[in-house]
Amino acid sequence: MTYELRIENLTVRTADDTVLVSDVSLVCGPSNPICLIGETGSGKSLVMHAIMGSLPDSLSCDGKILLDGTDILPLSPQQRRELWGRKFALLPQEPWLSLDPTMRVGAQVAELYTDLRGIGRKQANQMAADELASVGLAGSFDAYPFELSGGMAQRVSIAMAHAAQSPIMLADEPTKGLDRALCDVVADLLRGEVAAGRTLMVITHDLELAEKVGGTVGVMRKGRLLELGTADQVLRNPSHDYSRELVAALPANWPVRTPARAKKSDDIVVAADSIGKSFGRNTLFSDVDVAIAKGQVTIILGPSGSGKSTLGNILLKLIKPDAGHVSWGDDLPAMKYQKIYQDPPSAFIAGQTLGRAFADLRKLHNIDGARINAMLDQLGLDRGLLARRPDAISGGELQRFAIARSLLLDPVMLFADEATSRLDPVSQKRVIDLLCAQVRDRGLALLLVTHDPDLAEHIADHIIRISDGDHSSLAAKAA
Amino acid sequence: MKTKSFANLPTDVAADMMDGSRSVFWTPARITGAFILVCLLLFAVLGPVFISTDPLHQNYNAVLVGPGVDGYLLGTDHFGRSMVSRLAHGAQLSFAMAFVTAISAAVPGILLGVIAAARGGMVERGLVALSDIILALPGLLLVLLLLAFAPGEFGPLYLGLALYLWVEFFRVARIETARVITSPSVEATRLLGFSRLYVFTRIIVPALTGPMATLFAFAMGSAIIAVSTLSAIHVGLRPPTPELGAMIVELVPYYSEAPLQILMPAIGIFLLVLGLQLMAGRKS
Repeated sequence: MTYELRIENLTVRTADDTVLVSDVSLVCGPSNPICLIGETGSGKSLVMHAIMGSLPDSLSCDGKILLDGTDILPLSPQQRRELWGRKFALLPQEPWLSLDPTMRVGAQVAELYTDLRGIGRKQANQMAADELASVGLAGSFDAYPFELSGGMAQRVSIAMAHAAQSPIMLADEPTKGLDRALCDVVADLLRGEVAAGRTLMVITHDLELAEKVGGTVGVMRKGRLLELGTADQVLRNPSHDYSRELVAALPANWPVRTPARAKKSDDIVVAADSIGKSFGRNTLFSDVDVAIAKGQVTIILGPSGSGKSTLGNILLKLIKPDAGHVSWGDDLPAMKYQKIYQDPPSAFIAGQTLGRAFADLRKLHNIDGARINAMLDQLGLDRGLLARRPDAISGGELQRFAIARSLLLDPVMLFADEATSRLDPVSQKRVIDLLCAQVRDRGLALLLVTHDPDLAEHIADHIIRISDGDHSSLAAKAA
Repeated sequence: MKTKSFANLPTDVAADMMDGSRSVFWTPARITGAFILVCLLLFAVLGPVFISTDPLHQNYNAVLVGPGVDGYLLGTDHFGRSMVSRLAHGAQLSFAMAFVTAISAAVPGILLGVIAAARGGMVERGLVALSDIILALPGLLLVLLLLAFAPGEFGPLYLGLALYLWVEFFRVARIETARVITSPSVEATRLLGFSRLYVFTRIIVPALTGPMATLFAFAMGSAIIAVSTLSAIHVGLRPPTPELGAMIVELVPYYSEAPLQILMPAIGIFLLVLGLQLMAGRKS
């Protein structure tokens, strides 16, 4: 058994014959990992679900999925499920959510030995402890999932895949919601799996992860596999237009934004005077001075958990600082200070169509209907989407709706809290470009929180760096 | 796994599928539940109008006769009273009482829960302490205390039950509201200038509807059961008032002679709770 996975002409259709994935062929095997990249809704997750056999019943599959030359597509759902754990291991998105929160980590790993492989309890515990030690979690046998960091939870799910002895690993957006340093840790872990001779398939919109994993890269869009080649070739020298757009959308490849004019004192919209905040005994920052001016991009940069969102919320007067004082220019109404959220669907009312949301906003503030339409056109949003609910449109589009909603109130400051960290590179670039255009055209003050130094370096006028429990305030950018 | 893969479908298709699955309110379970409730309501409302027999009229020549015998549609009880007439009157009384009790528990319970979560601080702590005190008392003991003032009357019985049942509404409403109120959608809505009332009607009310409907169905069931329990120790409604719970208790001694008679009021309660649950139940 070499555990080679070969997909030939895979097509996924809905019951009413809409083609969701069209004619995808690819191959991966030990020491030849594959990364499928593309935006949300490009069909890359469907390919993975087709391999697992976990597609919704309403979808049908054509083509061949060959595991060591045997087509597994015609097998019954029961037989497909037999392969889970034994042949395929799925590394889930946001693994801290898919571990059992009430069970200790060691017991969750040991369960695989006893239940899947029929090994005795005592020996299983020993093997689980060894397995956890092998992924660098020797001390976490008795830990509960909530005590683990994102990277540790990811390692637990890898340990579980090892315990099941699954030769093929499918990783679904393994770096989603992690900051840059943790992304590198996950990339190293995945590379280790490849080096150990496992077959790896990664679904991601994180191009840096794809580059680090190496092997084959496939670019998907609208259900089609546009380009397939070695990581080097696709990411350095893409042949398809969309791949080129995708690579160009990486923050590292952005053109540097022309810096704004120098700050004048009467342009200040938010001034914070030696503010500090701590949660319990954990001091996030203290004695920070911040001044945010019109027409400038200010970035708060730091790893997750460092308190950068808290700082933004304090400047927006959503949270009270423990010490110091925040003042807004000319005592403008609160409505002039708006916020864009990290997870677009969570900022909208779940059951409400976007049309309803905009109609209510229009009624509340007497906004001219033509202005709303002009705003949507300006942000490149199709008005037909207004009939949808927030969970039925892509993250990039929804984020643009959130921006449109805020801009209709003519804000002087916009606080974007990791507003693009869950978006694919193309959507991210589009959202950032839109925000920068508002800064240029309307003199908006933009405060952006991010953990991506590349992004910060390329668009910031000023960067506030926060590291764990420490800060170096307001370093003017020297680029 | 299935719901997760929906989120990853191309957006056009996902939208169609999701809108399609959402618009189905009348699932087979709901239709069944509605059918049961309508039948029970018709029986309780129209029964006493069309059945001319007095539920209190005793006929010692036909004691505990089976259904259909001597012209009694569902037979008679141990005093020769018509079961069908007693069931119709009993259903009316029990359902009305359970409904009034559940409403008077739900309205203050939900309102206080929302207020506690929204205001926080001393208000919340005070209300939580109050609900904990009531929870620490056995529920029926509270009813018994109040009943001591006016034994056998409906007023204190109903008040006592409502005083005990509101706690559950309060606790769930408070937790659910607290969860929703800290969500980004509330913060975003407030930032856009919408009022607290808008947040309440558009975000909190929809979030509370499902769990509260389920609780309401349970509360109605508990009210009926509690009244029958109290009848069993002769402090609830007094005989000869026809009430479903009291009827069960009265008929227990004759179980071996007339098992059908004792099952009839029990089935009434069962169908009511089942109907309510089927209506309230959400698709997982």
